[in-house]
Amino acid sequence: MKWLDERLGLSELMAGIFEHPVHKKSNFLDYLGFATLYVFINQAVTGMLLATVYKPSSTEAWASIKALQASAVGGYVRSLHSWGANFMVVLVVLHLLRVYYEGAYKKPRELTWIAGGILLLGTLGLAFTGYLLPWDQEGYWATTVGTAMAEYVPGIGDYVVRVLRNGAQVTGDTLTRFYSVHMLLLPVVVLFAFMVHFFFVLRQGMSSTDALLAAKQQGKNIESMSIPFWPNVAFRMILLVLVTAAALWVLAGVFPKGLGDAADPLNKNKFIPQPAWYFFGVYQLLKYFPGKLDIAAMVGVPLVGLIALFALPRIDRNPSRLPQKRPIALAIGVVLSAGMVFLTYQGYKSVPKPLPTNMVSHPSYARNINPIFQSKCVACHGQSGGYSLETYTGAIQKNIAPGNPDASKIIQRLEGKLQPQMPLGQEPLTKDQIQTIKNWIQDGAPNN
Amino acid sequence: MSEGKESNLPRRRFLKLGVGAVGGALGLGYLGLTGDFLRPPSELSKPLQVVGKIGDFSVASPTLVAYQSSGGSEGVYVTNLGDGGWLALDFHCTHLQCPVDWYDATKQYICPCHGGTYDINGNVLGGPPPHPLPRRVIKIEGDSVLVGGRLV
Repeated sequence: MKWLDERLGLSELMAGIFEHPVHKKSNFLDYLGFATLYVFINQAVTGMLLATVYKPSSTEAWASIKALQASAVGGYVRSLHSWGANFMVVLVVLHLLRVYYEGAYKKPRELTWIAGGILLLGTLGLAFTGYLLPWDQEGYWATTVGTAMAEYVPGIGDYVVRVLRNGAQVTGDTLTRFYSVHMLLLPVVVLFAFMVHFFFVLRQGMSSTDALLAAKQQGKNIESMSIPFWPNVAFRMILLVLVTAAALWVLAGVFPKGLGDAADPLNKNKFIPQPAWYFFGVYQLLKYFPGKLDIAAMVGVPLVGLIALFALPRIDRNPSRLPQKRPIALAIGVVLSAGMVFLTYQGYKSVPKPLPTNMVSHPSYARNINPIFQSKCVACHGQSGGYSLETYTGAIQKNIAPGNPDASKIIQRLEGKLQPQMPLGQEPLTKDQIQTIKNWIQDGAPNN
Repeated sequence: MSEGKESNLPRRRFLKLGVGAVGGALGLGYLGLTGDFLRPPSELSKPLQVVGKIGDFSVASPTLVAYQSSGGSEGVYVTNLGDGGWLALDFHCTHLQCPVDWYDATKQYICPCHGGTYDINGNVLGGPPPHPLPRRVIKIEGDSVLVGGRLV
């Protein structure tokens, strides 16, 4: 240590990083960025391990992951990487919300915020490109749909899609492109943006230290309002990392990441594409923007969001950082976050899920019937089309004769007595599922 | 130094300009390479490929065939329209490119994602799709059916 110090003056540098006071009010929400850094390191380490066995071509990718899954450690490392991606997205967003609430993006920390915005985009980009790499049906079709959204960009949409995919469709050429972006381009971008982000934080301190500096300038003794960063705050930070790590390791172990069927561009098994969970919001939004307004959901909303994100320090000119003096900014923040949570939840609800197959004698619409409708019917019988099963009112408008299941057209369609049998092109519902719906109609099709 | 301060300044300005110009030119060069490298292949350059015999396709009954491209298979519905000639349609819905299925029962292409429907010619009947299904080049040579890239 002394040897290095003589040559590099390290202790001076370290003192700058470690020896400063931190406001007593600082709490674990201020360390979310640090927890994100931990998860990024998890991604880097597990990602490098995965790269040692992964074969980036459309003919070998799936089989190489399948082989990896056969070993317990291999499967666990992949599960850590996959769960880590989710953790990273969640932590980055929570960190952003915390900074927004604290008003920490204001002068002089505008550039820290902007570097953070780049980190957010980089994280989402990594999550999106990584989804394709196992080359299973889930990733293949999510990527097809995800990249297809760019088609709605006016004028250059088609070109953008072909650049993203390296062709008109998602093929092995797309896989190679995504692989290089996931492994080289985005990690470099994220690392670079992180260094800038981190440098600014070290240079300017967390926003909560500003109050300390102000007090110091007024000649007050700040000892009583502060605690030293090293080792007190650092210890709290490492505790948050420990909690994050424990959650990550347990989740990765208890809910291991599976591997679906290999990607089939011809989709012979009629896999129904589903978005990754962080796309549930957009997925749901599309349902509210029917027809020609799709462009608003797919281009307009993301574009406005992007501009708002990067221009926030300019848009919000209110100099105060106190939450009680920023009612408008906080109200907008609350509405947007609540909206996102709501859309994500609604989207999650309507994604087809495995249904319980047992028969229910006196079913409830909310618990037993609606889930069947949501997962088997509303993809077609939703907002568009002549008959909507999206809501109770829509469902009972026609085709259901309360008290008389056999006279109800919906039952005749489900049983195939009336052709074509529903759900069209998919496996019919099981006998028990149909019987459950029959029982519900027999009971008078109540909204219970 | 024999030169005065004044005569030194333009030279420094020249040197600064030089640093900027060399850096900028190199940067632009790599940017140009990147742009050219990432340019996607043209759809029109896709070669015609035999996907079946005329006899494989009964009239008015779309059949899913595989067009083999460098990166894998591409799904194409080939239809013998009888007097109306032949039609090759890309099987990706124009809404968000989920794969559509042909249903003989309703004589429609139906998309499983958001319920878009198309007629046998690929024209939109209902749901969110903004355009008809994209057409691909199709050619009959002897009794072979050949399919090519997308008609843009």
